[in-house]
Amino acid sequence: MLVIITLVLQGIGEVKENLSTTQMLKGILDGCLLAIIKDKEVYGYELAEKLESYGFHSFSEGTIYPLLMRMQKEELVTTTLKKSTAGPRRKYYSLTPKGEAELEMFIERWNYLQTNVNRVLRHESNSEHPKGDETDE
Amino acid sequence: MNSELKLSDKSREFLDHLRLYLFSSGKHSDEIEEIVEELEVHLFEAEKNGKPIEKIIGKSPKEYMEMVSNEMATDYRSWIKTISLIVFGSFSFTIFSDLMKGDLSYSVLEIVGHLFIGAVFIAAIATGFKYISAANPSIKKQGLLVTAIMILPIALFVGLIYANRTIDTPVIHFGSTASLIIGGITALFIIGASFWAKTWILLIVVALLTLPDFLLGLTPLTHEAQLMISPWITFGGIGLYLWLSLSWSRKNGK
Repeated sequence: MLVIITLVLQGIGEVKENLSTTQMLKGILDGCLLAIIKDKEVYGYELAEKLESYGFHSFSEGTIYPLLMRMQKEELVTTTLKKSTAGPRRKYYSLTPKGEAELEMFIERWNYLQTNVNRVLRHESNSEHPKGDETDE
Repeated sequence: MNSELKLSDKSREFLDHLRLYLFSSGKHSDEIEEIVEELEVHLFEAEKNGKPIEKIIGKSPKEYMEMVSNEMATDYRSWIKTISLIVFGSFSFTIFSDLMKGDLSYSVLEIVGHLFIGAVFIAAIATGFKYISAANPSIKKQGLLVTAIMILPIALFVGLIYANRTIDTPVIHFGSTASLIIGGITALFIIGASFWAKTWILLIVVALLTLPDFLLGLTPLTHEAQLMISPWITFGGIGLYLWLSLSWSRKNGK
């Protein structure tokens, strides 16, 4: 297990400076939001529903708003208010050129990370070398 | 704010608490309205689809409020405005009632103490409101806390008066011209602040606290009679003003 963690951290370290686990997860959610927004202009509730439809069930929907606020501050997304047929005004998000570039970078980082992790997992589970410390679990 | 949106009491309460929390954290008021409105729409649609509020904001409203607050810039300018309004507002009461008695003179301790009490009062309001909105204690506890915050500056002022009697600090005397200038500046400040805050309460309270004594002094009434009448005018006047402005705002609300 330690080998995996070290390798993963190394992998990220090469792409970007060392990140903590929470930052890493946050970054992943950021990337997913950018990808969904790029596809189509969306408002908050729609965005949360989409994330859930892709399998992210356990997160609190409201967590997307602080992330969106930061992305707006960093000029990755812009917003427009539109009146819906149901009544309430909805805030729609769309990507800026800077946001599209950030998404490209995220995809690159993610592919790199994914390839390395997969490689590690395949190697570690296929080879049947004796493992010294399996006391946990 | 979409006031026509039908929301559960729990969601409505959360939004009110969030607004109060962000306000006492000194965030820009238009940014507060923006995020509150966005969450209101989200909660509205979530409730329509039968989702509980916990699915949106998680198990701890406090943590969620902190998370939102961390992403918002602090509005120092309007903070400074509010602080100076409270500090100078409380100065103006003292200055006017002292002016009616003659030239101004204050000890250094009085001036510093005044500023200190203003700062403590503001800090107490900010932390108190933040606590109420995030931890959501029982109504009884909320009442006790608010009462304690309101009593705090009064207790400190009483303490300051005592301290001023026992501790000798240099006293600054203002001549009659200087006193008049200070009075003029204070008057301008009160009028300006009233325009800015769009309420005449400060002006009316100051006038009702200082003018009755002064005007009654011009009448041939005995000193005892003046002492008896003056507080009635003051408190009656403040009560009348509050009652009038309440019925006025009710009429406008309809």
